Amino acid sequence: MNSLQVTKVNIQILFFGATADITGRRRIEIAIPSETTASEVSKILIAEYPSLATHKLHISLNEQYAAGQEIVRHGDELAIFTAVSGG
Amino acid sequence: MNFFELTTDPIDVTSVARRLVPPECGATVTLDGYARRFTKQKDGQTRKTEYLEYEAYEPMALKEMEKLIAAAKQQFEISWVGIVHRLGRLEIGETSVVISVASPHRRAAFAACEWLIRELKRTVPIWKKEVYADGEHWVEGEKES
Repeated sequence: MNSLQVTKVNIQILFFGATADITGRRRIEIAIPSETTASEVSKILIAEYPSLATHKLHISLNEQYAAGQEIVRHGDELAIFTAVSGG
Repeated sequence: MNFFELTTDPIDVTSVARRLVPPECGATVTLDGYARRFTKQKDGQTRKTEYLEYEAYEPMALKEMEKLIAAAKQQFEISWVGIVHRLGRLEIGETSVVISVASPHRRAAFAACEWLIRELKRTVPIWKKEVYADGEHWVEGEKES
Protein backbone atom coordinates (compact mmCIF):
# COMPACT_ATOMS: atom_id res chain seq x y z
CA MET A 1 0.00 0.00 0.00
CA ASN A 2 1.30 3.43 -0.76
CA SER A 3 0.66 6.87 0.65
CA LEU A 4 -1.36 7.33 3.78
CA GLN A 5 -3.60 10.08 2.68
CA VAL A 6 -4.55 12.46 5.47
CA THR A 7 -8.04 13.52 4.67
CA LYS A 8 -9.70 15.77 7.19
CA VAL A 9 -13.30 15.49 8.23
CA ASN A 10 -15.34 18.08 10.10
CA ILE A 11 -17.31 17.11 13.17
CA GLN A 12 -19.43 18.90 15.75
CA ILE A 13 -18.48 18.67 19.43
CA LEU A 14 -21.02 19.37 22.17
CA PHE A 15 -20.28 20.13 25.82
CA PHE A 16 -22.70 20.09 28.74
CA GLY A 17 -22.61 21.00 32.42
CA ALA A 18 -19.09 20.71 33.83
CA THR A 19 -17.47 20.22 30.40
CA ALA A 20 -19.22 23.34 29.06
CA ASP A 21 -17.92 25.30 32.07
CA ILE A 22 -14.36 24.04 31.53
CA THR A 23 -14.26 24.79 27.81
CA GLY A 24 -16.40 27.91 27.91
CA ARG A 25 -18.19 26.46 24.90
CA ARG A 26 -21.33 24.53 24.21
CA ARG A 27 -20.63 23.60 20.59
CA ILE A 28 -17.52 23.70 18.43
CA GLU A 29 -16.62 22.35 15.03
CA ILE A 30 -13.25 20.71 14.58
CA ALA A 31 -11.40 19.08 11.71
CA ILE A 32 -9.87 15.68 12.43
CA PRO A 33 -8.07 13.12 10.27
CA SER A 34 -10.42 10.56 8.76
CA GLU A 35 -10.52 7.21 10.58
CA THR A 36 -10.16 8.92 13.97
CA THR A 37 -11.97 7.07 16.74
CA ALA A 38 -14.27 8.58 19.36
CA SER A 39 -11.72 8.05 22.13
CA GLU A 40 -9.01 9.67 20.00
CA VAL A 41 -11.28 12.69 19.61
CA SER A 42 -11.61 12.88 23.37
CA LYS A 43 -7.79 12.84 23.67
CA ILE A 44 -7.60 15.71 21.17
CA LEU A 45 -10.11 17.65 23.28
CA ILE A 46 -8.23 16.91 26.52
CA ALA A 47 -5.04 18.21 24.89
CA GLU A 48 -6.89 21.41 24.03
CA TYR A 49 -8.68 21.70 27.39
CA PRO A 50 -6.48 19.89 29.95
CA SER A 51 -8.91 20.45 32.85
CA LEU A 52 -11.25 17.95 31.21
CA ALA A 53 -8.83 15.25 32.37
CA THR A 54 -9.69 15.95 36.02
CA HIS A 55 -13.13 14.44 35.40
CA LYS A 56 -14.39 11.02 34.47
CA LEU A 57 -15.64 11.59 30.94
CA HIS A 58 -18.27 9.91 28.81
CA ILE A 59 -18.73 10.23 25.09
CA SER A 60 -21.70 9.97 22.82
CA LEU A 61 -21.65 9.75 19.05
CA ASN A 62 -24.75 10.89 17.18
CA GLU A 63 -26.84 10.77 20.36
CA GLN A 64 -25.78 7.25 21.40
CA TYR A 65 -23.28 6.32 24.10
CA ALA A 66 -19.96 5.49 22.48
CA ALA A 67 -17.58 2.80 23.71
CA GLY A 68 -14.61 4.63 22.17
CA GLN A 69 -13.47 2.56 19.23
CA GLU A 70 -16.14 3.92 16.84
CA ILE A 71 -14.81 5.74 13.79
CA VAL A 72 -16.04 9.33 13.71
CA ARG A 73 -17.30 10.36 10.26
CA HIS A 74 -17.72 13.68 8.53
CA GLY A 75 -20.72 15.56 9.92
CA ASP A 76 -20.96 13.43 13.07
CA GLU A 77 -21.94 14.95 16.38
CA LEU A 78 -19.84 13.91 19.35
CA ALA A 79 -20.65 15.00 22.90
CA ILE A 80 -18.29 14.80 25.85
CA PHE A 81 -19.66 15.03 29.37
CA THR A 82 -19.30 13.96 32.98
CA ALA A 83 -21.40 11.18 34.53
CA VAL A 84 -25.04 12.15 34.30
CA SER A 85 -26.90 13.38 37.40
CA GLY A 86 -30.55 13.80 36.52
CA GLY A 87 -33.46 12.67 38.65
CA MET B 1 -49.86 5.51 25.92
CA ASN B 2 -46.28 5.86 27.07
CA PHE B 3 -44.87 9.36 27.26
CA PHE B 4 -41.50 10.92 27.99
CA GLU B 5 -40.96 14.65 28.06
CA LEU B 6 -38.60 17.43 29.09
CA THR B 7 -40.00 20.73 30.27
CA THR B 8 -38.89 24.00 31.80
CA ASP B 9 -42.36 24.51 33.28
CA PRO B 10 -43.34 23.39 36.78
CA ILE B 11 -44.62 19.81 36.76
CA ASP B 12 -48.04 19.00 38.16
CA VAL B 13 -47.48 15.54 39.59
CA THR B 14 -51.10 14.52 39.86
CA SER B 15 -51.92 15.40 36.29
CA VAL B 16 -48.94 13.36 35.05
CA ALA B 17 -50.13 10.35 37.04
CA ARG B 18 -53.73 10.75 35.88
CA ARG B 19 -52.65 10.54 32.24
CA LEU B 20 -52.08 6.85 33.00
CA VAL B 21 -55.32 5.24 34.16
CA PRO B 22 -55.93 2.52 31.59
CA PRO B 23 -58.98 0.35 32.21
CA GLU B 24 -56.99 -2.91 32.28
CA CYS B 25 -54.90 -1.58 35.15
CA GLY B 26 -55.54 -1.36 38.84
CA ALA B 27 -52.68 0.79 40.05
CA THR B 28 -50.40 3.58 39.00
CA VAL B 29 -47.23 4.05 41.05
CA THR B 30 -45.74 7.54 40.84
CA LEU B 31 -42.36 8.84 41.94
CA ASP B 32 -42.19 12.55 42.72
CA GLY B 33 -38.51 13.49 42.79
CA TYR B 34 -37.88 17.03 44.00
CA ALA B 35 -35.10 19.46 44.76
CA ARG B 36 -33.48 18.75 48.10
CA ARG B 37 -32.23 21.46 50.45
CA PHE B 38 -29.55 19.54 52.31
CA THR B 39 -27.04 17.21 50.66
CA LYS B 40 -24.47 15.18 52.51
CA GLN B 41 -21.08 15.40 50.82
CA LYS B 42 -18.51 12.63 50.52
CA ASP B 43 -16.48 14.28 53.30
CA GLY B 44 -19.45 13.93 55.67
CA GLN B 45 -20.28 17.64 55.63
CA THR B 46 -23.79 18.71 54.76
CA ARG B 47 -24.21 21.48 52.21
CA LYS B 48 -27.19 23.74 51.99
CA THR B 49 -28.45 24.19 48.44
CA GLU B 50 -30.13 27.46 47.47
CA TYR B 51 -31.51 26.21 44.16
CA LEU B 52 -30.77 23.73 41.38
CA GLU B 53 -30.19 24.01 37.68
CA TYR B 54 -30.72 21.10 35.33
CA GLU B 55 -29.57 20.87 31.76
CA ALA B 56 -29.91 18.09 29.22
CA TYR B 57 -28.62 16.91 25.92
CA GLU B 58 -32.22 17.03 24.90
CA PRO B 59 -32.53 14.83 21.80
CA MET B 60 -30.32 12.14 23.32
CA ALA B 61 -32.12 12.36 26.68
CA LEU B 62 -35.44 11.73 24.95
CA LYS B 63 -33.99 8.74 23.10
CA GLU B 64 -32.58 7.30 26.33
CA MET B 65 -35.91 7.78 28.11
CA GLU B 66 -37.67 5.96 25.30
CA LYS B 67 -35.17 3.09 25.54
CA LEU B 68 -35.70 2.84 29.30
CA ILE B 69 -39.44 2.58 28.89
CA ALA B 70 -39.05 -0.17 26.29
CA ALA B 71 -36.62 -2.06 28.55
CA ALA B 72 -38.93 -1.71 31.56
CA LYS B 73 -41.87 -3.08 29.59
CA GLN B 74 -39.75 -6.11 28.67
CA GLN B 75 -38.79 -6.83 32.25
CA PHE B 76 -41.90 -6.05 34.24
CA GLU B 77 -45.60 -6.84 33.93
CA ILE B 78 -46.57 -3.25 33.35
CA SER B 79 -48.82 -1.52 30.85
CA TRP B 80 -47.69 2.07 30.47
CA VAL B 81 -45.00 4.45 31.65
CA GLY B 82 -44.88 8.24 31.72
CA ILE B 83 -41.71 10.18 32.50
CA VAL B 84 -41.46 13.97 32.75
CA HIS B 85 -38.18 15.66 33.70
CA ARG B 86 -37.84 19.34 34.46
CA LEU B 87 -34.96 21.47 33.16
CA GLY B 88 -33.69 24.92 34.04
CA ARG B 89 -33.79 26.53 37.48
CA LEU B 90 -35.66 24.72 40.25
CA GLU B 91 -36.38 26.08 43.68
CA ILE B 92 -36.10 23.81 46.72
CA GLY B 93 -39.09 21.47 46.94
CA GLU B 94 -40.04 21.80 43.29
CA THR B 95 -40.53 18.58 41.36
CA SER B 96 -37.60 17.66 39.13
CA VAL B 97 -38.84 14.33 37.82
CA VAL B 98 -42.04 12.33 37.74
CA ILE B 99 -42.16 8.67 36.79
CA SER B 100 -45.57 7.03 36.66
CA VAL B 101 -46.05 3.34 35.97
CA ALA B 102 -49.44 1.73 35.42
CA SER B 103 -49.88 -2.00 35.79
CA PRO B 104 -52.64 -4.53 36.36
CA HIS B 105 -51.20 -5.23 39.81
CA ARG B 106 -49.22 -2.87 42.01
CA ARG B 107 -46.16 -5.02 42.73
CA ALA B 108 -44.79 -4.83 39.20
CA ALA B 109 -45.42 -1.09 39.09
CA PHE B 110 -43.42 -0.46 42.29
CA ALA B 111 -40.54 -2.58 41.03
CA ALA B 112 -40.54 -0.96 37.58
CA CYS B 113 -40.69 2.55 39.01
CA GLU B 114 -37.67 1.89 41.23
CA TRP B 115 -35.76 0.37 38.31
CA LEU B 116 -36.66 3.30 36.03
CA ILE B 117 -35.43 6.02 38.39
CA ARG B 118 -32.21 4.11 39.07
CA GLU B 119 -31.52 3.71 35.35
CA LEU B 120 -32.58 7.27 34.52
CA LYS B 121 -30.04 8.61 37.01
CA ARG B 122 -27.37 6.41 35.44
CA THR B 123 -28.00 6.80 31.72
CA VAL B 124 -30.19 9.75 30.68
CA PRO B 125 -27.95 12.72 29.75
CA ILE B 126 -29.24 15.29 32.21
CA TRP B 127 -26.98 17.15 34.66
CA LYS B 128 -27.77 18.86 37.93
CA LYS B 129 -25.96 21.86 39.33
CA GLU B 130 -26.31 22.63 43.03
CA VAL B 131 -26.02 26.32 43.76
CA TYR B 132 -24.96 27.34 47.27
CA ALA B 133 -24.71 30.73 48.93
CA ASP B 134 -20.94 30.63 48.31
CA GLY B 135 -20.51 28.64 45.11
CA GLU B 136 -21.90 26.01 42.82
CA HIS B 137 -21.16 22.45 41.80
CA TRP B 138 -22.14 20.22 38.88
CA VAL B 139 -23.09 16.91 40.43
CA GLU B 140 -21.40 13.94 38.80
CA GLY B 141 -23.23 10.64 38.85
CA GLU B 142 -22.08 7.10 39.25
CA LYS B 143 -22.23 5.76 35.70
CA GLU B 144 -19.76 2.97 34.99
CA SER B 145 -17.61 3.65 31.97
